[in-house]
Amino acid sequence: MSGNKTQKKAHDVSEEKRSAAAEKNGRRPLRLSYAKRKELYGYGFISLWMIGTLMFFLIPLGKSLWYSFNEVRIEPGRSVTEWAGLSKYDYAFNQDPKFTLALEATLLETLWKTPLILIFSLFIAVVLNQKFRGRALARAIFFLPVIIVTGPVFRVISGDINTTGNMGADQFSTMFSTDLVGELMQFLGIYGLSENMGEIISTVADNIFGIVWSSGIQILLFLAALQNIPPSAKEAAQIEGATSWEYFWKITFPYVSPFILANLIFTVIDSFTSPMNSVMERILEMKSEWNFGEASAMAWIYFLIVLAAIGVVSAVVNKFIYYEVD
Amino acid sequence: MSDKITPPEQREVKKLRLQNMSAAERACVRRRDAAEKIWKFFRFVILCGLGFVILYPLIYMISCTFRERNDMNDPTVMWIPRNLTLDVLRETIESMDFWGALKTTLFLNIGCSLVQVISCAVTGYGFARFDFKGRKLLFGVVIMMILVPTQVISLPLYTQFRYFGIGSLKVNLIDSMLTMYLPALTANGIRSGLMILIFRQFFKGLPRELEDAAYIDGCGPFMTFIRVMVPNAASSFLTVFLFSVVWYWNDYYISSTFFTNTRTIATMLQNLDSELKMRIFNDPKVQISGREQIVWRQAGCLISIAPVLLMYVFLQKHFTEGIERSGLVT
Repeated sequence: MSGNKTQKKAHDVSEEKRSAAAEKNGRRPLRLSYAKRKELYGYGFISLWMIGTLMFFLIPLGKSLWYSFNEVRIEPGRSVTEWAGLSKYDYAFNQDPKFTLALEATLLETLWKTPLILIFSLFIAVVLNQKFRGRALARAIFFLPVIIVTGPVFRVISGDINTTGNMGADQFSTMFSTDLVGELMQFLGIYGLSENMGEIISTVADNIFGIVWSSGIQILLFLAALQNIPPSAKEAAQIEGATSWEYFWKITFPYVSPFILANLIFTVIDSFTSPMNSVMERILEMKSEWNFGEASAMAWIYFLIVLAAIGVVSAVVNKFIYYEVD
Repeated sequence: MSDKITPPEQREVKKLRLQNMSAAERACVRRRDAAEKIWKFFRFVILCGLGFVILYPLIYMISCTFRERNDMNDPTVMWIPRNLTLDVLRETIESMDFWGALKTTLFLNIGCSLVQVISCAVTGYGFARFDFKGRKLLFGVVIMMILVPTQVISLPLYTQFRYFGIGSLKVNLIDSMLTMYLPALTANGIRSGLMILIFRQFFKGLPRELEDAAYIDGCGPFMTFIRVMVPNAASSFLTVFLFSVVWYWNDYYISSTFFTNTRTIATMLQNLDSELKMRIFNDPKVQISGREQIVWRQAGCLISIAPVLLMYVFLQKHFTEGIERSGLVT
């Protein structure tokens, strides 16, 4: 194999291609079938990653699983583990005061936030795909959160907005010094609506800040999908006299549906792995208190739930997706 | 119709067309035009409103950075400061050791991103174009890398780096930049799973004929990758690189786990509060309320996103267009 390579390098590719190939065939020291050789090259390409993954991902992952069944103590020079069975898991579920509550809160939040983010980002993508003056600027503004939202600045932003008492709907309310959502509901004559409904609406309004800020990548992906709709489909719809409503449901929606799945998974992962959610906070808290066994057990419970959630969601959504057959 | 129609001509054409239509048709056209106008108005309102929600924190940051702390207590000051000053900015830069941290961060960021983009591209290409035993299983591991939060493996990773090596030959890598460079070099850095996935999708989307032609010309797979595939992937390389820079820039979890002395902008921002407490807030001569401290915190935010913001302003096209061309679309 190595002889092969040097020979290949020695010859300029553009010159004497045929003769080089013939020569190579004659002198090849190791006779392997084409498929076999390609297989080896495949391993070659991913070898660097395999080493890294073993060292920096799989072994640490296995270790953390091991820690979750053990009592872990850090002694100078090494960490000592002592088999503790399922007690750490038992602790996480039945004894820890915050973990189950945090878990419930995070799951619920993801459950209602994800669809909202998806609908919102699809809507914005459709709007940003239309032609109007200042579109480039609008796009630049809507993608801006992408570069900020993963960092510590975002924490400060959301934190400080809380401390100054301006957030979401309140933010506008203080500007116009009215209770915007309340006024709107009164204006629409919604008094008798159940308390719950009112609460939901105001939570949504309060969270508009979070939703807008966490849908940058989703908008980007949807926009890319929209631009991939073939012009022929557009023309056909126009000739048939489709209204824009029909166009959205019959053309746009089927074409972007694979991206709904991609975006869904992306959103779910993003919200589950964000260091700002309460489960993550609890895990980090346990870790900083040197309770590594408990922290690992919690992390694993959480991770398995996330995995199951993503599996179920993608299985369900996959059934409704339209894939264009090439 | 001719290629170029000026707006007045367009109006003429429309008028002519309307004259030739029946009353019902005319009404229909008018209704459509009206709906379009209403929609245009709504679109404007929606975009402005949401744009404000996004820009609000940034405007607030800028406004806070250049005001004196007394302005925080002045209810008439909403956006435009009464007393303009650069003192807050200067003090924040000093207490964050901004220029030093910037140098470290840039060295770490750009180096790691560069190395990681290359290693992820090579891996992605391997997954996209070669058939080997266990490919599906190994790709499952890539997906796992995306799914597993870093927090889960950070502790074992810490011990790994603390006692790095084989047998009795151990080195302490904590606090050296190798803790960032080694994973990046082996396609295991920040969000590398996602990057491998992007590259795999992208290379899968390129026509196979490209490589077949190179193979027939006697080019080995590795040279084919460098000479044929990489030039084709240039724009998606740039996009992934830019995103990678942003992710490294924003990371504070990994850097605060592995670094105790090395200072990046993100970790300095995390520590800004305590640093400020030592330098300014604890001075018994001046009383600073919690509300007034926001000025410094916002200034810290502003200077720590300013570099990426600048990059975004100048390279915005590559951030957005690259995604469209990169593999995620197919």
